[in-house]
Amino acid sequence: MNVIETAALGKRYRGQWALRGCTLAIPGGHIVALVGPNGAGKTTLLTMAVGLTRPTQGTVTVVGGEPAGSPRALDGVAFVAQDAPLYRNLSVADTLHLARNLNTRWDQRDAENRLEQLEIPLAQRVGELSGGQKAQLALTIALARRPILLVLDEPLSSLDPVAREDFLASVVAAAKQDGISVVLSSHVLAELERVATYLIVLARGKVHVAGTVQELLASHGAGLEEIALRYLRASVPSVSRTEGAA
Amino acid sequence: MISSTPAVASAATTRRRRVPWTRLAWVTLRQRRGAVIGTSILLGLFAVYLLIMAIIQNHAYAAVEACHPAAAVKCQHLANSFSADYWGGGAGGVLQAGGAQTVSSLLFAVPVLLGAFVGAPLLAREFEHGTFRFAWTQGAGRTRWTLSTLVLPAVLLTAVTGAFTALFYWYYRPFLADGQVSEMLPLSFALLGVVFAAWTLFSFATAAFTGTLLRRTVPAMGITLVVYIALALATATAIRPRYMTPVTVRGWNGAAGAGWVLSSWVKGPNGHVLSQGDLNTLVVYAPPSVQNSSNPNSFTDYLTQHGYTLWQSVQPDSRFWSFQLIEGGWLLAVSCVLIAATVWLARRRGA
Repeated sequence: MNVIETAALGKRYRGQWALRGCTLAIPGGHIVALVGPNGAGKTTLLTMAVGLTRPTQGTVTVVGGEPAGSPRALDGVAFVAQDAPLYRNLSVADTLHLARNLNTRWDQRDAENRLEQLEIPLAQRVGELSGGQKAQLALTIALARRPILLVLDEPLSSLDPVAREDFLASVVAAAKQDGISVVLSSHVLAELERVATYLIVLARGKVHVAGTVQELLASHGAGLEEIALRYLRASVPSVSRTEGAA
Repeated sequence: MISSTPAVASAATTRRRRVPWTRLAWVTLRQRRGAVIGTSILLGLFAVYLLIMAIIQNHAYAAVEACHPAAAVKCQHLANSFSADYWGGGAGGVLQAGGAQTVSSLLFAVPVLLGAFVGAPLLAREFEHGTFRFAWTQGAGRTRWTLSTLVLPAVLLTAVTGAFTALFYWYYRPFLADGQVSEMLPLSFALLGVVFAAWTLFSFATAAFTGTLLRRTVPAMGITLVVYIALALATATAIRPRYMTPVTVRGWNGAAGAGWVLSSWVKGPNGHVLSQGDLNTLVVYAPPSVQNSSNPNSFTDYLTQHGYTLWQSVQPDSRFWSFQLIEGGWLLAVSCVLIAATVWLARRRGA
């Protein structure tokens, strides 16, 4: 089963193509690193996959052929947007209750256990949580939905190094334990290098590499960062451009 | 790693359960707790005041009604002082500061205040804080979430303001009964019957729609305020008088009857309509016995004797409920269109 499948997918914003001609088939059972410089189209691709944005052209299906945004797709895909948006005025307990009431599948015990381990008090208001705690709460909610696919858009960008480690550890543990497929995006590959089993390099609205880390390492004979950099350099004509997958 | 989980199998084989509306209703009420509290405080304070004054006024008016014969000087005095105390606020007490006259004008702001403060943030705040990315990617889906978010507050707001109107009517009844005001006058019409709730619903729908269109709360509130004021004024001055053809009645001795007088004119003995200048001339050339008379009706009596007649174009009080239903009906229709358009916008909007 492919967790995300796109065919000639494209999105145009005010005459500018954010993503164009994107054809991908991401197999299940991986932790997928979606990397590329800022503005490469990562968020555009992910928001189309979770059904928030409609494609300008092409198609995108998830969790085995369900059209993105369809009821079955929404059931099977949990999404945490950049900066983990949650209602700041609600308590943690109310946020859980809210998410529980918005979903058909929900594992309250799992959510409460996870928050207890993280020492996030249920009575705390979401607005008073630290960035790391808020990201963990959003992850907890996403996992309590028992998804087939977990999509995380730039989950680490606003976290400090310790929180990053903790967050990634939670993601990896959940993926192993529950057999969830995960797609994480980042503009810094180094963050994801240790956990990713599948790599997609996106630049200037186009897919440059997509494949399992094992295959890529074997065929290129170089480190993952080196591979990504090579493709990104090739995609950017100007030499002066330093921004990218570090 | 596992590529197929039991959840996959069950999703494929069993029919998908939908998130029940009752759960969505809980979500909507929890998310709008602030709006619920704010509305309760605003309407609650007004309601307590109206309740106290309604008891006092109805009690005082009972004495006016019990006085017989009504034309007697003491009864007239009682009626006049009731009117001065409670309509004009002449008693000067803290409670009747400004009187019913002022209180009812203040109430004109309630529909737009409630509508804008409840309606504008519904979707706009989700866009401002990015939380729509959370709300719309849950299993319930964005259409159901949006419908619940719009329809439940709309129904509650309409019901609560409808009940509020009933209380207001009880408070206002003495002034309608003693002929102080007609229920057809713009001052009273929008606060009675079904249109108070209908204007609230309209403001709410306008605010929700503009909030979704602009994705900003405060500008949506501002636009709602402007739209409400413009449309309420246009309705009272130009639209409402045309719901039905006005009745032309003969005034003075013809007892025009209670109602909303749209225009009036005086015809001379020869059947021509008099201009204001002609009337002023008549006053100047009236005999001293008329000019110096203490009877307020002496001038009209004088005109009647000389063959002048007053004509009025009136929307009579008997049309009150017809007008209420016409206005309530079109406001409801416009509100439904705006809410449907809001859902359409939300479904269309990308991230």
